[in-house]
Amino acid sequence: MNLLTHYRYTLLAIATVLLLPVMLSSGSLATEVLIFALASLGCNLLLGYTGLMSFGQGIFLGLGSYTAGLSLLHMRVPLLVALLAAMVVGAVAAAAVGWLSIRRRGIYFALLTLALGQMFYFLAYTLKDITGGDNGLLNIPRPQLSVFNTTLLPTATQWQYYGFVALVFVVAFTLIQRVADSVLGRTLLAIRDNETRAAAIGYNVKLFKLIAFTISGAITGLAGALYAILIGVAPLSSIEYQASESILIMTVIGGTGNLFASVLGAGLYVLAGDWLSTLWPRWLMLLGILLIVVSLYMQKGLWGLGAQLIDRLKPRRAPRDPSAVKRKQNP
Amino acid sequence: MTVAILEAVNIVKRYGKFIAVNGITLSVMPHTVHSVIGPNGAGKTTLFHALTGAVPINEGSITVDGVVVSHLPGYKRVLKGLTRSFQVTSLFPNLSVHENLRLAAQGRNPVQALHLWRSAESLTAAGETVDILLKRLNLSAVATRAAGELSHGQQRRLEVGMAMAGQPKVILLDEPTSGMGIEDIGDMKRLIHDLREEHTVVLIEHNMDIVMDISDTVTVMQLGQVLVEGKPDEIRNDERVRRAYLGSMTDGDSA
Repeated sequence: MNLLTHYRYTLLAIATVLLLPVMLSSGSLATEVLIFALASLGCNLLLGYTGLMSFGQGIFLGLGSYTAGLSLLHMRVPLLVALLAAMVVGAVAAAAVGWLSIRRRGIYFALLTLALGQMFYFLAYTLKDITGGDNGLLNIPRPQLSVFNTTLLPTATQWQYYGFVALVFVVAFTLIQRVADSVLGRTLLAIRDNETRAAAIGYNVKLFKLIAFTISGAITGLAGALYAILIGVAPLSSIEYQASESILIMTVIGGTGNLFASVLGAGLYVLAGDWLSTLWPRWLMLLGILLIVVSLYMQKGLWGLGAQLIDRLKPRRAPRDPSAVKRKQNP
Repeated sequence: MTVAILEAVNIVKRYGKFIAVNGITLSVMPHTVHSVIGPNGAGKTTLFHALTGAVPINEGSITVDGVVVSHLPGYKRVLKGLTRSFQVTSLFPNLSVHENLRLAAQGRNPVQALHLWRSAESLTAAGETVDILLKRLNLSAVATRAAGELSHGQQRRLEVGMAMAGQPKVILLDEPTSGMGIEDIGDMKRLIHDLREEHTVVLIEHNMDIVMDISDTVTVMQLGQVLVEGKPDEIRNDERVRRAYLGSMTDGDSA
């Protein structure tokens, strides 16, 4: 039982991975949910755990896509090497972006990440020979997961690739959850709560923020790589401002602070987008309304809403004392 | 003759043309309570900010137990044995009381806190410090509650506890009794008085009863400079101190 509660979020992640194929007919859509869940997890580590609202997550997503694409196209590296390379590039870029941005707090921090995001976008747009510019990097191959010419996991069909991404997702989620629960994660939460106090009790706040950025960049880079391999293209749109915005919206809608909330947010965003876009091309307006509702009335996001509902259903065993209910309503 | 554990020499802090601290020299002897008093705007809190590294100093030098810390960033001074409490309560309001103190105790070994694999509970040294402190601060009963939910008196005690948890050589308390009720003030007074057994206390306080009762040395500041320094009795009867306070200090609780 203790073990069950200890790994409850990992179990939820596994359940998600198992449930998606039952719910969805499209393997690529299911894969997209997991990929953006990863990107949102990276964002959550910054926003929910460290209190940093980064508008530059697209940088790491895009760089992850390009790194995987370039290494697969030109060097024919194995699948895992391409993913690892994307993580390293994402981490290094995040360390650099973080190093510059965390010099300022609040609005100026956000503006710095926004400006750097635009810079990277135009860089990718301009370097047509490397990135393919507007068209993106095309014809990225999707190798199988193999060691010494023995295929461990085929990735040719959509659902086969889903299986591989699901595996990566569960492993990554478990690791990130572990980091979030570690003494480092707890210190990040403290920095989110009160930076001045964290510095006054001996923590180098900038160093901790930089570490959070680096981890976030690695995860987002991984998501970018998986995405490029999924669609066979490293599109310019991965590094666009729109990508940063989408990741941020998923994270906020899902709820910050709890990692699994990001999976919910990404799931809703990707699935609602897929469903609504067939009904109405301006579906993003509905998403805007949802974001307004979340910002105004449910700042803990979908996760918070769910937790609240479970809380309401729970105390059934409590005696039905009308005065007790009254007291609860008017504290 | 014992050597000062905190030695500040000729500290100057300017904000543009305004000189908030103008050449303050302070020698704090180990295991004493050294109070800094003065009318509002005398530069007491700026002096604290300068000593703890929250603001950089323009001139002067600061030494803690023989180690020069004049230009170290604030978080590094904690490792040299200098911690503080804030005039306006500054806790981690969404975290539990226990977690607040654990973080503060872990701050003494911040490199360990970079560990992204180990759980906080596996680092037992900080945990033991927390248990002792909870008892000493009389906060055991509320250990699992969020710090932001505590009563004002409890929050003020925790505020001082945050400074104690780092096991500092010198502990700087900025108006620890501000806004406290009468009954809480007595507890706080005892707590501060007892602190000198293990630490050295530098205290900013407006409540003159406390200052006169528990201080070993009192430094009176005025307009960014030291007006007088001496034992509580000497300060109480000093004509210059009386004049400095007349009219300029309006706090009701100043005797």
